[in-house]
Amino acid sequence: MTGLRSSMVVGSSRWTRFNARFDWPLFLAISLIVGIGLLNLYSALSGRTHQRLFYRQIVWLSVGLVGYMVMTVIDYRVWQRFAWVVLGAVILMIGLVGIVGSTIKGSNRWLDLGVFNLQPSEIAKIAVILACARLAHETETRELPLVEVLLRVAVLCVPVGLVLLQPDLGSASLILLIILSVGFLMVREPWILAGLVGAGVTLFPLLWDELQGYQRERIVAFLDPEHDPTGIGWHTRQSILAVGSGRITGEGYLDGTQNQFRFLPEQWTDFPFSVWAEEWGFLGCLLLLVLFAFLLLWILNAALHARDRFGAVLCIGVGAMIFWHVVVNIAMVLGLAPVVGVTLPLVSYGGSSVLTVFLGLGLVSSVSARRHGY
Amino acid sequence: MLIRNAPGMVEPLRELRRRARWVLAVIGVAFLILLGRLWQLQVIRGERYHARVLSIVGSEQLIPAIRGKILDRRGRALVDNRPAFNIYADPETVDDASLDLLAQLLTLDDDERERVRARVESIRARKNGLPVQILSDQGRDRAALVQQARQRLSGVEVRDEPYRRYVHGDLAAHALGYMNHPTQAELAKLADNEYEAHEFIGRHGIESQWERYLRGKKGIERFVVDATGTRVESDDDELIDGPRFVPPEPGHNLVLTLDLDLQRAAEQAVRRHAAAAVVVVEVNTGRILTLVSKPSFDPNIMTGHLTHAEDTLLRSDPRQPYLDKTLRQHYPPGSTFKFVTMIAAVDDEVVAADQELECKGWHKRGQRRFHCSGAAHGAVNVIKAIKRSCNVYVWQLAELVTLDRVAEVAVDFGFGAPTGLGLNGELPGRMPTREWYEAQGRTFKIGYTLNASTGQGDVEVTVVQLAMAYAALANGGALYVPQVVERMETATGEVVTEYEPSLRRRVQVKSEVLEVLRQGMWQVVNAEGGTAYAARSEQVVFAGKTGTAQARSGRRRKKDQEQMPPGWHPSRDHAWFAGYAPADNPEIAVVVLIEHAGEHGGAVAGPVAKQVIETWWKLRTDGPTDSTAATVQEGQQ
Repeated sequence: MTGLRSSMVVGSSRWTRFNARFDWPLFLAISLIVGIGLLNLYSALSGRTHQRLFYRQIVWLSVGLVGYMVMTVIDYRVWQRFAWVVLGAVILMIGLVGIVGSTIKGSNRWLDLGVFNLQPSEIAKIAVILACARLAHETETRELPLVEVLLRVAVLCVPVGLVLLQPDLGSASLILLIILSVGFLMVREPWILAGLVGAGVTLFPLLWDELQGYQRERIVAFLDPEHDPTGIGWHTRQSILAVGSGRITGEGYLDGTQNQFRFLPEQWTDFPFSVWAEEWGFLGCLLLLVLFAFLLLWILNAALHARDRFGAVLCIGVGAMIFWHVVVNIAMVLGLAPVVGVTLPLVSYGGSSVLTVFLGLGLVSSVSARRHGY
Repeated sequence: MLIRNAPGMVEPLRELRRRARWVLAVIGVAFLILLGRLWQLQVIRGERYHARVLSIVGSEQLIPAIRGKILDRRGRALVDNRPAFNIYADPETVDDASLDLLAQLLTLDDDERERVRARVESIRARKNGLPVQILSDQGRDRAALVQQARQRLSGVEVRDEPYRRYVHGDLAAHALGYMNHPTQAELAKLADNEYEAHEFIGRHGIESQWERYLRGKKGIERFVVDATGTRVESDDDELIDGPRFVPPEPGHNLVLTLDLDLQRAAEQAVRRHAAAAVVVVEVNTGRILTLVSKPSFDPNIMTGHLTHAEDTLLRSDPRQPYLDKTLRQHYPPGSTFKFVTMIAAVDDEVVAADQELECKGWHKRGQRRFHCSGAAHGAVNVIKAIKRSCNVYVWQLAELVTLDRVAEVAVDFGFGAPTGLGLNGELPGRMPTREWYEAQGRTFKIGYTLNASTGQGDVEVTVVQLAMAYAALANGGALYVPQVVERMETATGEVVTEYEPSLRRRVQVKSEVLEVLRQGMWQVVNAEGGTAYAARSEQVVFAGKTGTAQARSGRRRKKDQEQMPPGWHPSRDHAWFAGYAPADNPEIAVVVLIEHAGEHGGAVAGPVAKQVIETWWKLRTDGPTDSTAATVQEGQQ
């Protein structure tokens, strides 16, 4: 709170000062996407026994909104001090999931908190982003020996390994992609980048051996969808049918055939985009993609105008998280990527996902509110 | 703006600023790929995917039509439909545990279990999501057992559906026919899902011949299913290809010319005989009142309840219960055929009707002596020859007129060609000529003529053929096409088609000649010394001709007899009676064949004819009996 107050030099009332600093375009873009998400969720759940999920999602979004506002008001620089601590806590939580977590659909990802099942692998993304920013800050302020840098990078990669063991290929890949993206944008020496990518390529065959049977099946199904039309390729085929069936203007809200007749399994978590595409057509998809593109560019803008390197990396991390979620999720829906459990930010149903995205965007909002020129 | 116009850019963001272009490029390329893919799926292939979705979601079910009834000439049901319980399994949701429990509940044996499993598997492969019939006609008790355990039997349901019922059991079984399941080959040939594997198709008699009309037309119900194949309510007509509901058209009812009472009486009359055929036909219309072929089968068992053991039993019976003896079997007509030879001689005035020829009890031709029936008949004219069934008289005529002339008259009376009844693969019969023997590579002998003249040798007829010939003889020469269906009605009783009697031709015989023959036939039954005098009736005067036809198969062997049914052996003679009633103004012709009876026609076939004719007479004067009046009511319900 002190950080914000010290920089509040313009304006008479508290609201005027807030209004002047608050990043309204960012908030508007988020609100529009959330609005589309809710509209779409209502359709995806209509005629099913899951309608209570709609109200739960509204609760999540409210909680998320509160989190967003809190993150906005708190000076992001506070997190510099706690970044590694937060990462450590998250690593412990993931470890805890491995021991006492609840198993849903053969995968051990959730931590039962009584009220809801927390998915630490989602929160891990924020922790990793914080740690990345802290690392960037450290390399900026003092000369760190290469060994210490590599040690910190190794710690950053611990959540990737743990999440992969759950097994949750989607989240693990996402965390790795965030780390790589931040690295690509912030590391001074390109050879380190080359080393990172090279290591990834070398690791892949090893990773393949470690993949669970169903994970490999999904990748095989993605590469050859006709392999087994009713089995593993079913999701992809039905999703493509739904998207294509939307044509240019869509089948109309609440009229998506594939959606209403349950050809899309659990479309409210991983496949909300196919519901949207079926009911609103190419034009609706274009609208949603433009909104996401605006959001990403706006986050990049916030990064470029950040007061310091720590804030810039926070924005880059959150931007990378949203970018990869959107691209991987939609590519999956369109049959361009294998079916991995990656949600569509602000649109998919799910408490952990909503909280993570809102907290991340709250960080961006916080950075944006404290940019240069104020 | 993003890059260049960044006021107060601090040194630490140097790398980010430099690489921001790459970020823009990556975001741009990624979103363009997604948009390109969306364009491909939604704009280029959109219509195709949309059509595919509709074809997956839109489903239709054919609703079987109720099969038409078969009624007797007075509208009494011979074949109708009763309620039955069939058990269906939904291949999508049924599991092995349910099938095991079902088998346990109904105490199915291993064969039945295997059949049920095979049916479910075969439909799973088809994947149209519709339930398949696994057990048919289970009876109220068994259906109730399944109903009660429904909670534990996932994917199993009991449906109440009509089932074919042959009201009077095996009555007129060969005429009515039966039904069973179509074969794989038939299913492949029959297009448009017209028949499902669990449905029935007419197999014999009327059921087979009139299948098209009895069956009706299936209705269609179109609806929308979700991914699990579950039917869902939807008022979106775009999803449905065509009208939502086309009601099934019930099959037509057939009103037969058969008379239930007379049919039953005829079957009663031959009950003591191991194998027999009876045909009663109206002489002035050609309408058949009775068609008996014994032994037969119970169509109620044949229709879906025939076990392998029963089938084997029926097939191994030497009397051939599956064979329609009125149409599908050839018999030598024996003495019932003699009138043909007599017409050939008398109509051509080769001999006069009252001209007497000598019967010494045998006839010598070349080295062979042909023996007459019984002792010498002395001086014989046409009437006496008929009355006493004198062979020698007929042989002498045959030598005078030649075989080909006899054949000409026979063909004129309908022998040697199908009558046109069009049932059960009617055989044509055979009337040999000189040419026929030569085509067979056999040197023609006068013996052939002598044999043929008395209905032996290579002359073969069907029972219906003989009945139609006697009808023509009785009515003064009108040869009709026999008719078994009087009219076709809709399920609600409106007449669709009325089938009028159809005259085949008028035979080329002078009516005085027929009159003489009829006098002879009157004497057969009604004059002392006639071959059927024992069968004369005090209620109604009828006339006719007896016959005892030699079976062609070899000598009687004692060893075989043990495997044969009592009173029947393939080496024994057939006993015939062919006649008409009333004698003075004929209305019906009756032919009775007691197959391989080994006795004289007058002794066994005559009394059967008498019983049938007396029943007919009683029905004609008194109307249907009380017991059958009850059946009328039942049929109308």
